[in-house]
Amino acid sequence: MKYDLLIKKREDAVSTPSRRSVLKSLPYLTPALLARRIAGQQTTPATMTSNGGGDPYPIPWLDKNGSHNQPAGPNLEPSHIYHFKGLVARCSTFTGMGTDNQGNRIAFGTPTTDYGLMQGEYWAARAPQQGVFTHI
Amino acid sequence: MPAAGLTISADRKEITLEMKDVPVIDQPRWPALDSIATPALMTFKMVWKSTGDPVQYENPTQQFRFIGTRAECHLEAAVSVPSIGFAWKSDPIGTSAASFAMIGEEVNGRYYSPR
Repeated sequence: MKYDLLIKKREDAVSTPSRRSVLKSLPYLTPALLARRIAGQQTTPATMTSNGGGDPYPIPWLDKNGSHNQPAGPNLEPSHIYHFKGLVARCSTFTGMGTDNQGNRIAFGTPTTDYGLMQGEYWAARAPQQGVFTHI
Repeated sequence: MPAAGLTISADRKEITLEMKDVPVIDQPRWPALDSIATPALMTFKMVWKSTGDPVQYENPTQQFRFIGTRAECHLEAAVSVPSIGFAWKSDPIGTSAASFAMIGEEVNGRYYSPR
């Protein structure tokens, strides 16, 4: 009881609405807020769409295993992009030599070192897109 | 990648891909889960040249068709890892080789239709 009196006294003292007074007025506020929200919706000019992003689709059967490419080779899908048409260049099993800044000769390339280039049209965000992509 | 890094000959039989100071990561122990990744820069030039030997790969189940030629491919590159003071440069481009390379045109997915 003492607690309630203290709350009441505080409500009377402050000019801004307390949490309790706001709660008491909620039944009256709700229709007003809803009306305002509806009015706001009526003035929104554009409807949101959900077309996905403009990034390329991965190759589905590679993507399901957590990979976006496979080594270049005969009869293997050469592109890294699905829904694609255009130029593709691939190579694999790269080997070469080089020198580091200490003068050490260091080879590069392994049987799985492969590169890829794709240039052309791909489908994303429900529209044709143009791009150049490489995998190094 | 920026389209400016790509040069295609008029007959589409030679492709040059060239990029400078591409931000990459140096991760020698990849794919180990605890492998440390260090920021690095890579400059490279890669050239594909068609050999003229025709190839066609098609898979209706996977919905792709590639029509092109086998190719030769060469690469020269330079890599630096500034934080550890490491740098490396390959020998001239003609000294590298790939045992398999190809260039051509592909359609897949929604652009593919079986013949």
